[in-house]
Amino acid sequence: MNLMISLSKYLPYIFEGSLWSLGLVLGGLGIGFVIGVMFSLIQVYGSSPLRRLISLYVWFFRGTPLIVQLFLFHWSIFPALGIKSTPLITSITVLGLRSGAYQSQIFRGAIGSIEEKQMLAAKAIGMNDWDAISSIVLPQALRIALPQISNEYSIILKDSAICFILGVMELMTRAKYTAIATGIALIPYLMAGLIYIGLTYIGTKLFDLLYLKMRIPGSVEG
Amino acid sequence: MRNYLGETSKATIFRGKFSEPPPPGKEVVIVLGFDASYPPFTSINEAGEAEGFDIDVMKWIAKKYGWRLVFKPWDWSTIVTALENGDIDVIASGMTITPERASRKIWFSIPYYSYIHEIVVRADENRSLEEILNSGQPIAVQIGSTAEKWADKLLKEGYRFKKLCLGSYVEALEALLDERAVAYITDSAFLNPHLSKNPELKTKIKVLATLGAPETYGIATRPEDVWLREKINEALSELMNSPEWNELLKKWHLD
Repeated sequence: MNLMISLSKYLPYIFEGSLWSLGLVLGGLGIGFVIGVMFSLIQVYGSSPLRRLISLYVWFFRGTPLIVQLFLFHWSIFPALGIKSTPLITSITVLGLRSGAYQSQIFRGAIGSIEEKQMLAAKAIGMNDWDAISSIVLPQALRIALPQISNEYSIILKDSAICFILGVMELMTRAKYTAIATGIALIPYLMAGLIYIGLTYIGTKLFDLLYLKMRIPGSVEG
Repeated sequence: MRNYLGETSKATIFRGKFSEPPPPGKEVVIVLGFDASYPPFTSINEAGEAEGFDIDVMKWIAKKYGWRLVFKPWDWSTIVTALENGDIDVIASGMTITPERASRKIWFSIPYYSYIHEIVVRADENRSLEEILNSGQPIAVQIGSTAEKWADKLLKEGYRFKKLCLGSYVEALEALLDERAVAYITDSAFLNPHLSKNPELKTKIKVLATLGAPETYGIATRPEDVWLREKINEALSELMNSPEWNELLKKWHLD
C-alpha cells in the first residue's frame, strides 16, 4: 500500500508528460499537413523532375526508422546547416517531415479519387489550373482524406514516444523514470497506456466530428 | 574530424565552451546530463526534479562556484554523443571510468566512488557460477552499461549464456525476479543501496560471485573543457575531504 501512495505522488509528473506528447503530435501533424498538401499537389500536377524529387523524399522518410531520422537531423543535418536545435524542436521537425511523407500519399490518393471530368469542367467554365485545384479539387480531397488523417494522428501519437531518445520528456519517458524511482514496473506503464488510449479516443472523436460536419453527402467517400 | 589518438583534435582543444575561465560577472550555466534511471546516484523525485547522490555532489560544486545548473535527463545509450555535441556539458551519473571512454570522447574528473561488479542469482539457485554461465539461459544486464561489457567479455571467453539487455539496472533485476533471467550482472554501487531501500529483496536474491577488480566513477566532460574539469576536480577533492562527504554517502545509503 505504501508503494501505491508513493506512486500516486508521481501522477502529476506523468500527466504533465501528456502535454509534451500532445505538443509533439500537434506540431508534427501540423507541419506534416502543410508538407503533405504541397507535395501531393506536386506529385499529381507537377513536372517530372519535381515528382521524382518528392518520391525520393517520401521513399526516405517512409523507409527509415524514426530513431535514425532523429539522430540524423539532431547530430548531422542541423549542425551541418549551422542550426542549433533543441531536442524538442528537432523532434517536432522530424515528426513533421516524416508525417508529411505519409500525408502526401494520403492526399495523393484522395486527389486521385476525384473524377478528372471535374477538372475539365472547371477549365471549360474558364478557371485556370490553380483556381480549379484550389476551389474544386482540394476542398473535396481534404474532406475525403479526413478519416485517414485521423488514423495518422493516432499513429504519430504513439510514435512520439520514441523522441525520449533525445531527452524529450514525453509520457513514456516519465512512466519509465517513475517505474524506476518507485520500483514498481507495471503500473506506471499501464497508466501511460491509459492516457494514450484516452488521447487517441478524444483525438479521433474530434476528427470524426469534423468529418461529419464537413462531409459532402453523396460525394466519393474516402 | 577526430581520430582515435585525438591528434587532429589538437586544433580545437582550446576552443571549447568551458576551456578557459569565463569573463568576470558572466553567469556560468552548466547543463548536467544524467540517466534518471540510476538510483541512488541519479533519479527523478515526485516533483519531477533530479535527485540522487551525483545530483547532490554537482549541486555542492555549483554552489561553491556560483554556477547555475540545468538538469537534463538523457537516455544512457546516447548520452556520450549528447555530451560531444553540446546538448549537455557534463555527465554526473555513476559513470565508470574506462580506458575506452577516457581515451577519446570524454575526459573524466578524479574518481569519486568505487564499486565492484557482481553476478546475482535468486536465493533458491543452487547451481555454481560455471554452471550458470554455461546454462545457455538469459543473464540480464543494463544495455550500454559496464555490466553489459562484462557479459560480452564472458561470452568472448567462451561461456555459453544468452545476454538479455534491458533499459535499466532496475528492469534487469525485475527480469531476474520474474525468472526471465537466471542471473543478473550488476555492480555494488547499485545493488547495495537498492537492497537497503528494499530490504524484502534480501531474502529473494544472493550475490553468487564478484567479477574483476573494483572500478570507479568519475564526472565526464568534453576533452577541451579544461577549465571546467579543473574546477570540478578542485571542488571534488575539497568535498571528499570534508565531513559532508560521509553525510552524503549516508544520505543515499552508499556508506
